[in-house]
Amino acid sequence: MPVPDPFLQGVARGWRVLDASRLEADPVFEADVIIVGSGAGGGVSAEILAGAGLSVLLVEEGSLKTSSDFENDEAKAYAELYQEGAARMTKDGGISILQGRTVGGSTTVNWTSSFRTPEPTLSHWAEAHAVTGLDAVSLVPWFEHMEARLGVSPWTVAPNPNNDVLRAGCEALGWHWATIPRNVRGCWNLGYCGTGCPTNAKQSMLLTTVPAALEAGATLIHRARAERLVLEGDRVVGVECRGMNATLSRPEGPRLHLRGRHVVLAGGGINTPGLLLRSKAPDPFERLGKRTFLHPVNLTMARFEQRIDGYYGAPQSVHSDHFQWREGVTGPMGFKLEVPPMQPSIMAALFGGHGIESLARMSRLSHSNVVIALLRDGFHPESQGGQVMLRSDGTPVLDYPLNDYLWDGVRRAYLAMGELQFAAGASAVMPGHSRARFSPSWPDFREQVKALRYARHDVRLASAHVMGGCGLGDDPRRAVVDSHGRHHQLANLSILDGSLFPTSIGANPQLSIYAVVACLASRLAARLGA
Amino acid sequence: MPIVLSRRELLKLGLGTSLAVSAIGVTASLAGCSSDRPATGFAVLRDGDLAPLAALLPIMVGPHPALQQEQGAIEAALHQLDRSLASMSPAIQKEVRELLDLLNLPLTRGPLTGVWGAWEKASPEDIDAFLVRWRDSRLDLLRQGYKALNQLLLMAWYALPMAWAETGYPGPPRI
Repeated sequence: MPVPDPFLQGVARGWRVLDASRLEADPVFEADVIIVGSGAGGGVSAEILAGAGLSVLLVEEGSLKTSSDFENDEAKAYAELYQEGAARMTKDGGISILQGRTVGGSTTVNWTSSFRTPEPTLSHWAEAHAVTGLDAVSLVPWFEHMEARLGVSPWTVAPNPNNDVLRAGCEALGWHWATIPRNVRGCWNLGYCGTGCPTNAKQSMLLTTVPAALEAGATLIHRARAERLVLEGDRVVGVECRGMNATLSRPEGPRLHLRGRHVVLAGGGINTPGLLLRSKAPDPFERLGKRTFLHPVNLTMARFEQRIDGYYGAPQSVHSDHFQWREGVTGPMGFKLEVPPMQPSIMAALFGGHGIESLARMSRLSHSNVVIALLRDGFHPESQGGQVMLRSDGTPVLDYPLNDYLWDGVRRAYLAMGELQFAAGASAVMPGHSRARFSPSWPDFREQVKALRYARHDVRLASAHVMGGCGLGDDPRRAVVDSHGRHHQLANLSILDGSLFPTSIGANPQLSIYAVVACLASRLAARLGA
Repeated sequence: MPIVLSRRELLKLGLGTSLAVSAIGVTASLAGCSSDRPATGFAVLRDGDLAPLAALLPIMVGPHPALQQEQGAIEAALHQLDRSLASMSPAIQKEVRELLDLLNLPLTRGPLTGVWGAWEKASPEDIDAFLVRWRDSRLDLLRQGYKALNQLLLMAWYALPMAWAETGYPGPPRI
């Protein structure tokens, strides 16, 4: 049964969608507002600003791929839809970073978990980072608005066996667990959210806000990297872009010149501060790119007698916050427990080992479960996150040092996950570490975890949530933008994406970005006199 | 992942002082020895990369039935790896090339891997010993090299449908 492709239908109806690599040389575009990035922040901004009657130009470095292109093919998706071909990592290679690079940004490839920003996080922002107007009460209508817009509601289908391990382990131990709200409508429960939803069930920006903006007359230019902002005094007077090559690895295409009276940056963590650094934007207090957070993730693998088939079914439907706040908001690192989708290529990268050992692990994939811990960074003085810097070719890279505060969180998370998996009936559990082995019992696992070396490259760390780097707050000495998302030094520049956050969120961040940006973009629309 | 050897690390490896310009990228000083042109039919991998990778892949993957039974399994995996590399950023492509240079160049291959002759002639035991040495090394550079080779080769192999039956994965649904 063929699935309709509403994006291509819209293009056929006359939406203005341009591939920068195919434009004639040196075109100039003008609009009221230029938005750089079409992910969670850019998509929501585009819908609101275009809906308010402003002319909007939306620029995306990735290419336009729609449901007709999504084939549940891991390697193809990682190459086409992810930043740096899914090989993005921190400067010293210590943490792998999965981040979207396509129309819709990470929302096109995320696993649909949709949490409201935890109240302790918002309170901490007000107390420690001088953030105003984004408290738990003020944001309620924005959460409600975006949840309704994107069909966010708790998953009503039974969890797949991989998620059910998390539920069963928490039940057995008396730990908190809950069903995850997902942004889907008519989900087929396939399990391939990470390679682009082939049925248009996921209410990503590709399916919702970007089409709404195009319907309202916005222009989308994809395959265009914003290379530099043109600055004059305290104003941004243009955005210089360049078309990308076929594999999106090099900006070799036509140069584009964009002019607008207001500019919104929404390239996400790493890319938004990177663009500002390349543009030599004023940064008198040296805040730009600092305090970039990742929710560093570590993992444990468990073997079961029964089939788990973790590559099928909604990838995330159960989570546990048992360890999130129990040590205090600013104490030892808290973490959220979830599970990942378990397609073979990505699992091969996580299982580790080589030769007989690797094959023994991979040949049990169908009977394996993986639990992940999302470590909440940015709340403790010893958790300053990373700093975005520029490589010699001008592309951004995140320098994220690993310290003992983080290793302590990693160790406690290994223990929590292993205990949980044994409680759920695992026959053996292994921490995600280059020198680890499967432990046949909980006491043996505990001893193994205590004896591990906590060092870069030994501990397998990944991240799918880049946050911060252009932190918001009313004190210009400590923040890049004010609590409205307005740049402290550049008058007609707003930042409306995950790089705003002064700490990590403590939950998968998409709904936090949607709600905060919906709130700030609506204020911006009013200010621009629409 | 800057593949950079400091002077101290080079000395520890017994490479002597001729290479030990402080904190150089190894390739920067040895670039003359290797071509950056991709091999015929490849977008990123060079002629010199193919032999070490073809020797490493079966040792990394282990005795997987498809490696033995399927014609051209190793070539298919290297082409898959090449397609993935083509979408990575120039900075990461360069780092992967530098890592492969360490395996290729006679000056670094022997001291760093223990494989003194051609990769085609290295025994499985020699290659396994090299992987274990890098995995357990005190040097960040070598542990990172192990992780990178491990992830690049295993991700490429398990992206191939021929690799799935052994894992119990029935493959993706068709829509």
